[in-house]
Amino acid sequence: MATEERTKEILKGLHDSVYEFEEDDAVKWAKTALEEGVDPFVATMEGIAEGMIAAGEAYNEKKYFVPELLMCADALYAGLDILKPAIEASGRQAEVKGSIVLGVVEGDVHDIGKNLVKMMFEVAGWTVYDLGKDVPLDKFVEEQIKTDAEVVGLSALMTTSMLAMPVVIEKLRAKNPKVRILLGGAPVNPEVAEKYGADGYAKTAGTAVDEAINLLKVLKEEELGE
Amino acid sequence: MPDGKGAMTERERVLALLDRKKPDRVPIWPFAYQGFATVYTGTPISDAYNKPRVAYEAQKKTCHDFGWVFTPMLGYAAYGGWELGGEIKWPSGEFAQAPTVLKHPVETPDDVMSLKVPDVKTAGIVPIMKEFYDISSKELLDNEPFNVMQFGANGSFTIAGNISGPDRLCKWIIKKPDVAHRLLQLANEHISKLAAYWKELYGVENVIPLGGEPTSANQLISPNMFKEFAMPYITEINKMFIDMGYRHLYAHICGEHNANMEYWAQIPMGDPGIISIAQEVELFDAARYFPNDVILGNVNPAIIQTGTPEEVYAAVKKNVEDGKKIEGGYIFSPGCEMPPMAPVENIKAMSQAVFDHGWY
Repeated sequence: MATEERTKEILKGLHDSVYEFEEDDAVKWAKTALEEGVDPFVATMEGIAEGMIAAGEAYNEKKYFVPELLMCADALYAGLDILKPAIEASGRQAEVKGSIVLGVVEGDVHDIGKNLVKMMFEVAGWTVYDLGKDVPLDKFVEEQIKTDAEVVGLSALMTTSMLAMPVVIEKLRAKNPKVRILLGGAPVNPEVAEKYGADGYAKTAGTAVDEAINLLKVLKEEELGE
Repeated sequence: MPDGKGAMTERERVLALLDRKKPDRVPIWPFAYQGFATVYTGTPISDAYNKPRVAYEAQKKTCHDFGWVFTPMLGYAAYGGWELGGEIKWPSGEFAQAPTVLKHPVETPDDVMSLKVPDVKTAGIVPIMKEFYDISSKELLDNEPFNVMQFGANGSFTIAGNISGPDRLCKWIIKKPDVAHRLLQLANEHISKLAAYWKELYGVENVIPLGGEPTSANQLISPNMFKEFAMPYITEINKMFIDMGYRHLYAHICGEHNANMEYWAQIPMGDPGIISIAQEVELFDAARYFPNDVILGNVNPAIIQTGTPEEVYAAVKKNVEDGKKIEGGYIFSPGCEMPPMAPVENIKAMSQAVFDHGWY
């Protein structure tokens, strides 16, 4: 069992290896955490996830750009590959903060942004149902009903594929008026999101989670008011 | 819907600007060559990319009907993936806009190091482009300042990203910069060979090279990355074109490049060049960085697609009134490709705003 001081050192190692996108170090520190008896859940949430949150902040502050975030993600997932089986074996469940169905709409294969958004949601403790790219529109509705996810996130990078967004929104609303819908992607802006009937718009991966949390707060306030 | 009252033709307006003279009115030179032209003329979007005769006639009719500058062009944003040995998918379905890369020619650093640039004459879409330019180079209409807009010029970083996939290029510029540089060299080697091929076929008269750079935008990479991995390669290519005898280059600085502008300003663009900016860059900022070039831009295409005709008119009017103050010259255009599905009423409102407010 690692001492408190050693645990802090290991957590810092995990944090820094993700933040500094050192994939090999992330693996090394994750193995060290398990070997020295650090709770894998703590190692994940207070080490790896905190490193990714710091990277997200650096991205919002324009200290990091997409290349750094992609490298951080590789380090994050390398560390998680070691720690996740141990968490599952322990039977410990993380508190789920929310759930989201994510995908790039039909006709569009640009998924770098969507993948970064997915990672930020996972780090923030959300359950993510990732449908991938070029997703047939009905699939969003089917997945939302199947998973009862509170939020659906739609991404598009082209002016043709953005036209799929209001179609999906209408289909989703018809089946579940309470579902919250978040839009993102280069041609989208807050005015377009409002015009299309979405509940929110995220300019970057870094702001998507905060925007989704705000949507859930409004949803819960509405439910309390009913 | 040409305005019908101009003393100059659209061709004369653009050529006047390139001669550093003031035209009678702001020219309208939109990115409407591909999807919008085919949708407007009632053919599938894929025809814009793989049916040269249909694509040419669609562009010609669209530019004529709306009173626009016509510079025939065939190309696509994902250019490079197929041309260097990968596979693409033609656009199909209701929401697809352009060909997309299905399989990239390189996936690993070893792939990059062993990749050889294929013969350009048979590379990917090039034979189709040749068929298109063979048609377009046969006539020079009075709305054509150039009858060949050579696609695939100064987009070195974007073409490199299309060869590997932008995510791989992004990672390599951090972890394997030698691989990223090699990929960029391969992109430039291809561009150079293509340029020589086009020059052999069409010469330099009535021809303008065009390149687009979405992948080096600050939405993806930092200004320092642009400085190290994009600027030197774009500079090399632009110098090559100028040395080949092309007087003007057309650079579409696609996306949010504000922090890159000081580097863009160091790249030769011709005498003058045409600097096409996206809506994320302010017109006057672009003019400050390029005081000796013609600025082309930059109404948000999303407004043209989702706005009302009144909103489109107001946005274009504002853009034109600002643009007319640019000393080096200004051409009206959306900030990126015209949305293929944009309502025709909005397109008419866009052109009308220039006809009403574009006079000097």
